[in-house]
Amino acid sequence: MPPSNPLPPKENALFKRILRCYEHKQYKNGLKFAKQILSNPKFAEHGETLAMKGLTLNCLGRKEEAYEYVRRGLRNDLKSPVCWHVYGLLQRSDKKYDEAIKCYRNALKWEKENIQILRDLSLLQIQMRDLEGYKDTRYQLFMLRPTQRASWIGFAMSYHLLGDYEMANSILDAFRTNQMKGPHDYEHSELLLYQNMVLAESGQYDRALQHLNKFSSQILDKLSIKETSGEYYLKLMRFRDAENVYEGLLKRNPENVMYYQKLMEAKRFSNPDQKVAFFDVYKKEYPKAIAPRRLQLTEAHAQPVFERLVDEYLRHGLHKGIPPLFVDLRSLYSDQIKADTIEKLILQYIENLTSKGTFSADPNEEKQPASALLWAYYYAAQHFDYKKQTDVALRYIDAAIEHTPTLIELFIVKGRIYKHAGDPVSAYQWLEEAQAMDTADRYVNSKCARYMLRAGHVKRAEEMCAKFTREGVPATENLNEMQCMWFQTEAAAAYQRSQQWGDALKKAHEVDRHFSEIMEDQFDFHSYCMRKMTLRSYVGLLRLEDVLRAHPFYFRCARVAIRVYLRLDACPLQDAPQTAEPDTGQSLCLSLFTPLTHQYDYGT
Amino acid sequence: MTRAKIELGDVTPHNIKQLKKLNTVVFPVSYNDKFYKDVLEAGELAKLAYYNDIVVGAVCCRIDTSENSRRLYIMTLGCLYPYRRLGIGTLMVEHVLKYVEQDGNFDSIFLHVQVNNEGAIDFYKKFGFEIVETKEHYYKRIEPADAHVLQKTIRAPQPPIPLLNGSVPHAKTNGHD
Repeated sequence: MPPSNPLPPKENALFKRILRCYEHKQYKNGLKFAKQILSNPKFAEHGETLAMKGLTLNCLGRKEEAYEYVRRGLRNDLKSPVCWHVYGLLQRSDKKYDEAIKCYRNALKWEKENIQILRDLSLLQIQMRDLEGYKDTRYQLFMLRPTQRASWIGFAMSYHLLGDYEMANSILDAFRTNQMKGPHDYEHSELLLYQNMVLAESGQYDRALQHLNKFSSQILDKLSIKETSGEYYLKLMRFRDAENVYEGLLKRNPENVMYYQKLMEAKRFSNPDQKVAFFDVYKKEYPKAIAPRRLQLTEAHAQPVFERLVDEYLRHGLHKGIPPLFVDLRSLYSDQIKADTIEKLILQYIENLTSKGTFSADPNEEKQPASALLWAYYYAAQHFDYKKQTDVALRYIDAAIEHTPTLIELFIVKGRIYKHAGDPVSAYQWLEEAQAMDTADRYVNSKCARYMLRAGHVKRAEEMCAKFTREGVPATENLNEMQCMWFQTEAAAAYQRSQQWGDALKKAHEVDRHFSEIMEDQFDFHSYCMRKMTLRSYVGLLRLEDVLRAHPFYFRCARVAIRVYLRLDACPLQDAPQTAEPDTGQSLCLSLFTPLTHQYDYGT
Repeated sequence: MTRAKIELGDVTPHNIKQLKKLNTVVFPVSYNDKFYKDVLEAGELAKLAYYNDIVVGAVCCRIDTSENSRRLYIMTLGCLYPYRRLGIGTLMVEHVLKYVEQDGNFDSIFLHVQVNNEGAIDFYKKFGFEIVETKEHYYKRIEPADAHVLQKTIRAPQPPIPLLNGSVPHAKTNGHD
């Protein structure tokens, strides 16, 4: 459709050049050409030129002028799809997606088949999860450009996202048979796996399995074929086949915990002894693998069996000096008998290592390395800390420090014991000690900063973090830039505890902005993934973004913000600067708030 | 069961606190800031000893050019108590000997040892060190205060060069307060 106010050929040529300059980001030149048209009094109010001038100004960061020009252009030419499209682009760049969608729709009213506008509209619709609208737009794009790959994929995906698996599958099938003629490359392989995912999500595992088997020679991701077919066999109760698949997978990777679990599922063991025996087989087959040894401990329930197995496991860990041994075994502690067995063994090791240098009283046992006793103390300290026996835990960690005062881990655990005992100040001081012993260790550095925040020392924590942030920039700025949310959530909580309401809110809002930014970042993937055919990952991304704000960081910060706002609502801040002396009003507020705070404390 | 892993590592500004902690518990004397500042410049002359990746020992030396000769002085060489008699000291002495050999320009290696420290004296004798002198009241704050000087000769003493410019042997600093 021609614009309502067509330009003569010379001006029209200039206008085309403005468009080209915009596409090539030559904004200065674009403005020059716009000026040439607009300086002619006959075209001073030419709508599309004004709109394009505005859009170009927006790219140069002159937002206010941009809106002014674009709106003026639109007013002068309300029937121009260009003006509406430009207005839509401007709103989109301003993240006003709902407004932008309205503009695109208006543009399409005047030019139904504009591919560019339809494409832009579809991106906004998927970003806003207007799935019905997305489907309609993808349908139009498909009808207009049936030879383009993206038309098919987008069309199919719009049905998939709406849960119409049959339709999605038949579009993909038609596309595969009619359009995919090229080599069986990675993109082809990903398309097949995507189609397979659609089938599986429809619950038709038999069909999905057939599809997978039929195309297995064209699928390059061999691991995916195996893992998904194993899944399907289990769902279809074809346990023998599932067994074969998972046995093959364990040959590829004997450390994959999930494979063992699925294989046990396939073998349908009815009692724990079978499971223990099952892991014996794999321990023999892969003597270096850790997973079967560790998983066996979870499955062993008879006390004597568990004792024999955990004895072996603990000795190995203490002999080698595996620092996270306790963390590795902690999940077993939900079973009281297991916890007691471990305690008995550890105390026995400590006794024997102290007197004889061996784990057991057996005279034939080879001498253990000098570090074995140290690691046994270290384990015992964590064990008793877990049992909330602070004094015993401290005794063991002090014995360990006396034995080897150069081991950093000991000071970290000592700090943690104090933290668990409710003394955040001693806790951070011990972490500071640990940190000083290896200032190149980023883990200890971050831990130390976190402990400082728990103790309310925000400034000190910032200084600690500054050792690892970019030089020449304030640490908080750099941490914000890096979306370092553990720091920001802890800082928000620390400020809240010290009643620095403003700072607490500032940190909470910084975190909220990160989440918005992650939502924004999604935008680029709508077109990128379609082009690169990484469709499985793309659907995964969409689903992640849908529940993004369920993340604990977001919850923690939201809770801080809500509490602070409620507090400020209950007793608004005075205009005058607060005095150090708390006035009676404030203490009244606090007493009002205490029960509420307690209520919220659950679920942290 | 696998053998323990013993190896040497550098002293850096990042881990020097570990050296300080070690020296504090191993030696009865304390060392001043200058000692640790020099150690950072000492390169191969200052090393940490690791046992299964844990710092358990350290050796710190400096080059001594007094008394008209070029000698290597072992300022500290020590190992945490639970890790003694495991070959860690030997590894550190061997490192020093190798350094001296590769340099090729040392007359001797020497060190001070408290007179009652028989374990240390026997240890160094194994490597060819001998007691060449005993200094009374060498240590200020510990008992016994006397020290043996243990020395291992690397090459025969050179005929003395006449001191034309009257160079004065400078006062030796041992680093400890």
